[in-house]
This record gives sequence, structure tokens and C-alpha cells, in this order.
Amino acid sequence: MTTYLCLAGAAACFVLGTLAALATFRHARLSGWISVVAVGAAAVLMLIAAVRSFAGAGDAAVSVLPIVALGAALTVHVDALSALFLCITAPIAFLTTMYSVEYMRRYTRDRMAKYYPVLLILFLAIGGTVVTTDLFWFLVFWELMTLTSFFLVIFERENRAAHRAGWTYFLWNQGAALGLVGAALILWRRSGSFSFDACRVALDGLLQTNAVLAHLVLVLFVFGFATKSGILPMGSWLPDAYPAAPSSATAAFGGTMTKLGIYGLLRVFLHLVPLGNATVVWGVIIACFGLVSLFIGTLTALKQDDAKRLMSFHVIGQVGYMFFGIGAGLALLQVDPLLGTLGLVAGLFHMVNHSLYKSCLFLGAGAIEYRTGVRSLTDMPGGLGRVMAATMASSLLASLAIAGVPPLNGFTSKWLMYATGILGARQSFLLPVAALIAMFVSLMTLASFLKYLGGAFLGATDEPPCVREVPLTMLAPQVLLAAACLAVGLGPMLPLRFVHQAIVQLPSAAQLPAFETLFGSGQTLALASGGIVMASWAPLPLTVLLLVLAAGAYYGLQTAGGATSRRVQVWACGEEENPAWMRYRADSLYRPFKDAIHVTMPRMHLPRVPIPGFLARVVDVDRWLYRPLARGATEAARGVSRAHVGIPQVYLLWIIVGAIALITLLQLLPGGGP
Amino acid sequence: MLSAALGLVILLPVTGAVLAATSSRWDARGVAVRAAFLCALLAVWVSWVAYPDGARFTMGALPWLGAEAAANSFGLLLDPLATVLLLVGTVIGFLTTLYSTGYLGEANKEHSVGARDQGRYYFWLLLFLASMAGVATAPNFLQLFFFWEATTVCSWALISFYRSKASLRAGFKAILMTHAGGLFFLLALLIMFAKTGSFAFDAPARLDGTLRGWVYGFLMIAAWAKAAQVPLHTWLPDAMEAPTPISAYLHAAALVKAGVFLMARAVSGTWAVPAPVGIILAVMALVTMLVALSFYFVQDDLKRLLAYSTIAHLGYVLLGVAIGALGVPLGLQGGVLHILCHAFGKALLFLCVGAVAWVTGSRSISALRGVARIMPITAAAYFIGVLAVTGVPPFACFWSKFMILAGAMRLPNPWGPVIVVTVLVESLVAFGWMLRVGQKVFLGPWVETGGPPPRLPMAMKVALYALMLGSLFAPAVGIPLVHRIAP
Repeated sequence: MTTYLCLAGAAACFVLGTLAALATFRHARLSGWISVVAVGAAAVLMLIAAVRSFAGAGDAAVSVLPIVALGAALTVHVDALSALFLCITAPIAFLTTMYSVEYMRRYTRDRMAKYYPVLLILFLAIGGTVVTTDLFWFLVFWELMTLTSFFLVIFERENRAAHRAGWTYFLWNQGAALGLVGAALILWRRSGSFSFDACRVALDGLLQTNAVLAHLVLVLFVFGFATKSGILPMGSWLPDAYPAAPSSATAAFGGTMTKLGIYGLLRVFLHLVPLGNATVVWGVIIACFGLVSLFIGTLTALKQDDAKRLMSFHVIGQVGYMFFGIGAGLALLQVDPLLGTLGLVAGLFHMVNHSLYKSCLFLGAGAIEYRTGVRSLTDMPGGLGRVMAATMASSLLASLAIAGVPPLNGFTSKWLMYATGILGARQSFLLPVAALIAMFVSLMTLASFLKYLGGAFLGATDEPPCVREVPLTMLAPQVLLAAACLAVGLGPMLPLRFVHQAIVQLPSAAQLPAFETLFGSGQTLALASGGIVMASWAPLPLTVLLLVLAAGAYYGLQTAGGATSRRVQVWACGEEENPAWMRYRADSLYRPFKDAIHVTMPRMHLPRVPIPGFLARVVDVDRWLYRPLARGATEAARGVSRAHVGIPQVYLLWIIVGAIALITLLQLLPGGGP
Repeated sequence: MLSAALGLVILLPVTGAVLAATSSRWDARGVAVRAAFLCALLAVWVSWVAYPDGARFTMGALPWLGAEAAANSFGLLLDPLATVLLLVGTVIGFLTTLYSTGYLGEANKEHSVGARDQGRYYFWLLLFLASMAGVATAPNFLQLFFFWEATTVCSWALISFYRSKASLRAGFKAILMTHAGGLFFLLALLIMFAKTGSFAFDAPARLDGTLRGWVYGFLMIAAWAKAAQVPLHTWLPDAMEAPTPISAYLHAAALVKAGVFLMARAVSGTWAVPAPVGIILAVMALVTMLVALSFYFVQDDLKRLLAYSTIAHLGYVLLGVAIGALGVPLGLQGGVLHILCHAFGKALLFLCVGAVAWVTGSRSISALRGVARIMPITAAAYFIGVLAVTGVPPFACFWSKFMILAGAMRLPNPWGPVIVVTVLVESLVAFGWMLRVGQKVFLGPWVETGGPPPRLPMAMKVALYALMLGSLFAPAVGIPLVHRIAP
């Protein structure tokens, strides 16, 4: 009951915060601070619920708002998977809201009524999606999430591109959501209830009696979740929609909303689908989708010039990693439970890490936009690192984390993923190949973020630096998230333990190896199979070693080598030039690649369906039925009216003719005649 | 007490109508708003008190109606089904009247209306409100028929309100087509009375199979005409010549709902509809949805677009009723819930369009741009309306559509899957188009047209706010009510 009360309290905080923010929308900062307080309070309550669940004190499910006719009820239950998502949502929601207070002052012409209330409802929807165990309410929250995020995407009212992006986004996701509705209805038809457990039974039965229908359900589920996550080709809306929203909202999208596709995937394949052939088949499919997305998404990111767009493509790429890990895990779960668990843990852990660094990166891009008004890497003045040192440090850490540079958090999860692939050689030779592709893509990630860091923070500036560091409320979220990236990277065992718990608590994963068997019990990540440690990663000692080596190398080379350094202008064939002109600009980077490969991601466009001419004529009933009828009636009336000539003799004639006609008729009728 | 209150729900607007017609010029507005408000308040109170058992009052019979005097006597009936339509009719009726007080004036850029025409407008509007309450609370088919025809007459007068050539034509077309449908209703009544001597809602059950099929078939044609279903749908888009509040109330929320209400009444009266009738009803509902959808893409007038959307949504209701007729009460419950949910959402959309036209003088999709800059509340209302009508949760129509779909799933193959797929496709395409139109009209840069735009009157804003809330919370009222409509 305590868990339920915490969540109800959090929901109340969100709702009251929404109303208060709506009431005070004319005062942007007040509205913002009210939202910060509301989200903060809700975040604390959500974290309490999550911690209770991890500690094993989670309560039994509580059902409210029943809809008897449908057999649906808002059933609230926080298992470890829900708790993990609450743990991510709560802090990121709080930090992005705090960031918004100053950031949203950029928009002087827009009212905050369409920002804070919508953002709060978005967080409510995300929270609701992960804590309910009723498919019907899951769908309600899922769509609420889509529609609130849509309004954030079209926040810039006069920006046409934003509208187009928002429309495409909503349409794709609405289509996917309707697919989910279809899937839910098919399961409901069998079970009469929307509870996850009932759906599990229904799906089990369906897999045995009507496999085609069961796989249709799974197609719809995967389509829905992949669309939300931005998996290609369904996620082609993402690179347009994410950058269109204010950066604070984009950070919330990238940090929390995108991840719910992963949540849905795990919920379906480890909760609703009983272990069996379907798991293997769909594991392979999901892994393939992931592999394609991580490759194409990242490759396309390399070519981007807009900082937020670049990061959005990396959302696709990084979600691809998660899909790959989870897919591989699902495929191997039965033949090799150890590797299966490893893949699932790697995928889910990558999701946690991605939330941290991607939010930080979007907030960093927002900070630059806030101070310079520029998002294009080519147009950025450059050299911002000197004036925005803290922002640069945070973005640097997050960039290295996303590229999987040790000892940051991204490395740990990618390392686990590579391990799954390489060790997977004992099951299929394709897995090490996939792992190699993933490694190569990591390099591309690093390359594209070097472009971002170089374009924004390094080099000489074009203009005298009138730009300052962003205010504290915008800086603190970035620094905290970057610190979290470092902390999780240095001490991965505790978060990994939660991630492992989140997976093994799901019904279809109950038999998986224990944490200690798999990862060891110390602070060193020791990957073991059958009691033999096959690989290990000790972040702290190795980091210290790396630092010592780096410092030694630097000072050794500087001092022992006795080299002298001098500061001079860049040589421009003897002409005196502005140093900024000599800067290596972002659009110059990777030019050969861009010249060689034009299309990395094919765009999908809605086909224009012309309505056939004959169909248009057929449906126009007025044209071929009613108008002719009316015309005929009018003509007939006119004809009849000609009989009224005003001459008594003629009328007399009509009476006689009428009488004769009547008598004849009576004669002809049955029973008539003499 | 309850019977008196329920009677007053019908009598109050009639009195208000007479007073409005006789009061001088602008005073008609105050009289009308008060009468409509009291009526709505009473209706809500009565519904509250009568829930969940309902109420039935007999008020006298005509001697020539024969042996079944009890069933044929006039009176009032307030069961859950009646409550749904009563709430739609009176609450939205009041909000429309309130909105009209702001809309119908000299400041209206689309159609300036002077003091001279106020009395006439409110007379017909309130008379319609009363007729609608009468349709909702009729205890048998005969009384239902009387009020049904009364709504037709009011609709004719209100469509022709501006007295332009186009509006006179549209009014005539509407009365011709809906009355032609009414004749089929009459035919069904005659068969019923001749064979069973009764007008009770369960009387068709006493007919033998074939005849029962004909009675339901005739009632179905009457419902099609009133609810603008294919092939009798063409009067509704033309009826958009009416003042916009009238389009919102009569041609989205109430009058057309009388048609689907009749079918819901007839089906839930016996739960013994011959299967062929149910199948025809379902198929025609699907056809109507798709035909109406195909007209979306060629509309430039916002109101005509909404009219086609209304036609499609009445198809949804009839689809739900048909599912009920085919033996799944859940479908009928969903359909009846859709009456309520769609009424709020679509009335909201119409009133938004009215507000836009009031300020800018235009309803053209291609001409309007960036209206949100000057009318943020209306823009918010439009988007909420679109989400509500197209069934995006948590807004109203999602709940009703979901119930209809769930009902369809209970049908044997292949009906269930065919219905579900068609409905989902229609929902998605309609949603995409309505959203696109909304973005086109409301978003983008606003072109200054010299001078500050006029401010929307408070009465219109209040109506928009109330309908926005209704679009969100209507299912909370509706679900407990429709749950009780079961065999």
C-alpha cells in the first residue's frame, strides 16, 4: 500500500503542479519554479517507490478505476523493471525541469502555458506507463505520452519545419499505438482481461492454437515499441522531431521517453511471451533491427551539421545497441542462459547509461543555443570551451561516454555487449561479426562527437567572446548528469545488480543465473562461465593506472624531451589573417566520406493516393440520385400544373376522364367487375 | 417531485422560447440563457437523483389507443439510455445558447446579426432544446415520433435562419430528406400498432420474424436519414449554411444523435433484432465511415470538413448499435457512450470554427494561417477537440471507440477483424488529416491584417472551456450510465 500511496502522491504532485503551472503561465519563471517543486516532490516519491521495490519491500498490486465492461482496471504494481525505469525517469525529469526555468526564457513570444503543464503531464504519463500492469491503461498512458510530447515538438508555433516534424511524429506513433490497440484487443478476446498475467496466459494459448495470430500480435507489439524508440525504418520521424522541441524537452525525450520502447519490449517478451520458439525468432529479428539501426543511425549522424540533429541520429544508433543486446539475449536465452542474460543485461544497462549521457548532451547543446542562438556546428563561433568551461567538461564526459571510452559508463555496457557477441561465437559465428560492427560503430560515434566538440568548444573564436557560462540552474543538471556518467562507469556493480534484478524478476526470465555467478561478487566485473572467469573489467584500478600513465607521459615528454613550445599565428602563406578563419570548421570534417556516400538513410514518404474519378462520382449521391430526382419531381409538377388552365369545360372533361379511369380500375381489380 | 422536475426540463425551454420570441430585441438573449441554464441544471439534477434505477412517469393516455393503454400512454422515461441523450441535449444546449449570445451579434465578422433577428433565433433554438429533451425522455415510440418530427421542423427553421438563397435551399433539403426518413418511422409505427396494438419499445419482439425485420428495417432507414448516413447523408454538409452554434448543437451534438438514439432505443428495447438487419446496419455504418472519410480531403470549408467527420462518427455509433444488435451488448454500450463523447468533442470543434470565423470572417482552410497567435484558447480547444473526436486517450472518444472495438472483437469471424481493421484505419487517416488541417489553420506565422483583432466575448470562451472539460471527463459520466444498458 505504501508503494501505491507514494505513486498516487507523485501523480497528485504532477496534476497539481500542472494546474498551478497553468494558472501562473503569465509569469514564466514562477510557473517554472512551481513545476520544479512539483516534479521534485514527485521524483522523491517515485524514487521511494522504486527503492522499496529493489529492497524487496514492494507491495502487492492495487487496482483502481475499474471499467467492468472491459475487464480493465488501473492496476499499479512496481516490480524491479518498473522500479528501474522510475529511477531513471525521476532524476531526469527533475533535472530537465530545473534546466527549463532559465532555458525557456529564450522564448519571449511564447506562452509557458504550452510548456510546463505539458511537460508535467508527459512525466506523469511516463511514470504511469511503467507502473501499470494493465494493458489497457498502459495504452492510455502510452498515448498520453505521445500526445504531450507532440505538443512539445510543435512548441515553436511559427516554425513550419517543427509542424511537419510534429505531424509526422504523431502520425507514425498514432499508427503504432493503434497497432498496439489491435494487439491488446486480440489478447483480450481470448482472456477477457487486460492484466499482464491474463495476457500471458492468452498469448501462451494463442501460440499453441493459432500461431499466425500470435505472431501478428508480436508484430504489432514490436512495431509499436520500435516506432517509439526510433528503430529504423519506423523511427525515421525521430531526427526531425527531437531537434524541433526545446532542448530541455528534447533531453527529457532522449533520456526517458525513447526508453519506454525498451520497457515495452522487455515487458512483452519476458512477461507476456512464455519462453519458447517465439522468443528465439523474435530475438533474432529484434537484434537485426538493432544492428541496422545502430549502423545507419550512427553513420548518418556523422554527416549532420545541426548539433541536436546529430545527437538525435545517435539516439537511433544507441537504441540500436539496446535492441541488439536485448535481441541477442532473447535469442540465446534458452540455448545458453548465461549469454542470454548477459545480452539482456547489456542492453538494459546500456539504456540506463544512454539516459544519463544523452540527456547531458542535449542539455549541453541547449546551453550553447541559449548563449549563442546557434545549433549549426558550422555557424558556431567556436572556442566556446574557454568561456563555457563547465558545459564543455560535461559535454566532453558525456561524449566520451556515448563513444564507449573507458572508464565511463557507456564503456561498461558496450563491453558487456561485445562480450555477448564474442562469447556468442560458441552459438553462431554471426554474433562476433555483429560485435565487430558494433565496435566499429563506436568509433564512428567517437568521430561524430569529436566533430561536435571541435565545432563548438575548440579552436579560435570568430567574435570577441561576449558569451558567458550558462546560469547555475542550467549548469547543475549537466554537471550532475556527467558526474553520474563517471560514477556509474567507475562503480558499475551496484547499477548492474539492479539491472540484473529487473530482468530476472520477469516471469519468463525467472530461471536465469544469479548475479554473483555471472558477474562475481566483488567490485571487479568478472565475467564467469561455469565458474571460470573469462573476462574482467576493474574500472577503478585501471583508471588510476591510466591516469598515472597519461600524466607520466605528458610530463615525461614535456620535461625530459626538453621541447620548447611557442605561440604564433597560424601561417597563412605570409598573409595576416584572423585566426578564426583558419579554424578547421565542422563541415570540413569527414568531407571525403560525405562526398562518397550521399544517402545513408533512405527517407520514407507517405504515398499520395489519388481518389479514382469514378469513385468520386459514385459517392456523390446528390449528383446521380437526388438532384435528378428533384429535377424529375419539379418537371412532373410543372407538367401536372399545365392541366390547370382555368377553363371550366376543361376541368369538367378531367372529371369525366377521371371517373372513367376509376371505374376501369375498379373493374380490373380482383373481385371487381359484374 | 422528480416527475415535475423532469416535466419542467421540457416545459422550461418551451416557456423560454415563447418569452424570447416576445421579448424585445436583445433581451431575448438573457431570457434564453436563463431558461437553458435552468433546464440543464434540472436535467443534471434529475439524472443524478434517478441514477441508477431510472424513473418512469405516466401522464395520461388517448382512449383510441386501445387495450395497451399502459404501454401507449404518454409520460416520461428516464433510464440510462435516456439520461445520456438528455444530458447531451440539455447541457450542450445550454452551452450553445450561451455561446450564441456572444456569437450572434453585430461584431460577428462572418455574419452580422442585428437585434431584430434575436427573438426568432432563440425561439427556435429553445424549442429544439425542448424537443430534444422530449425525444430523450419519450416512454414509447409514438411519443418519440412526435418529438422527433418537432426536431426536424426546428432544424429546418434554424438552417434557413440567415434566409439567404443557399440557406433556404439547405433547410428545404434537410427537411425533405429527414422527413422522408420520418415517413419510414411512421410506417414502422403503423405495422407495430396494427399487429401488436402497442407502441412500447419492446413491441417489435412480439412480431414474427419477417415482419420484425421490416419494422427494424424501416426504423433503420429513418435513423439513416436523421443521422445523415449513406446514402441519405447529403443534407448534412449543405446544412452547414446554418449559424455555427446551430451546426454545433443540431448537426453534431443533438439532432443527428436523435437518429442513432432511435436505433439504440429500438435495439435495446428487445435485444431481438433479426441478424440481417444488424448486418446491413453494420455494413452501411462502415461504408458511411469510408465514404465520409473520402470527402475529407477535398474540403476547404472547415465546417464542411467537420460535417463529414460527423457523418463518419454517427457511423461509429450505428456500428456500435449494430454490434449490439448482433448479440454483443458491449458494442451498443460503446455506441451510446460515443453519442455522449462525440457530442462534446464535435461541438467543441464547431464552436472553435465559429470563433475563428467570428474573429477573422473566414472558414477557409487554405486562407487561414497562424490563427493561434491571436486566438490561443481557441487553438488549444481545436487541438483538444481533434484529439477527443479522433479518439486519442485520455480524451473522450477513445473510451467509446475502444468499447465499440472490444464489442466487435466478440463478434464471430470475419466480422470482428474486418470491423476492427476498418475502424483503426479510418481513425488513423481521419486523425492525420484533422491534425494537419489544425496545424495549417492555427500554426505558422500570423499575417497582420491591420488593427488589433477583436477579443472573443466571454460567453464564447466559457462555452469553449466547458466543452474542453467535457471532452476529457464525459466518459467518467458516461461509462457508469451505459454499463446499465444491458439485456
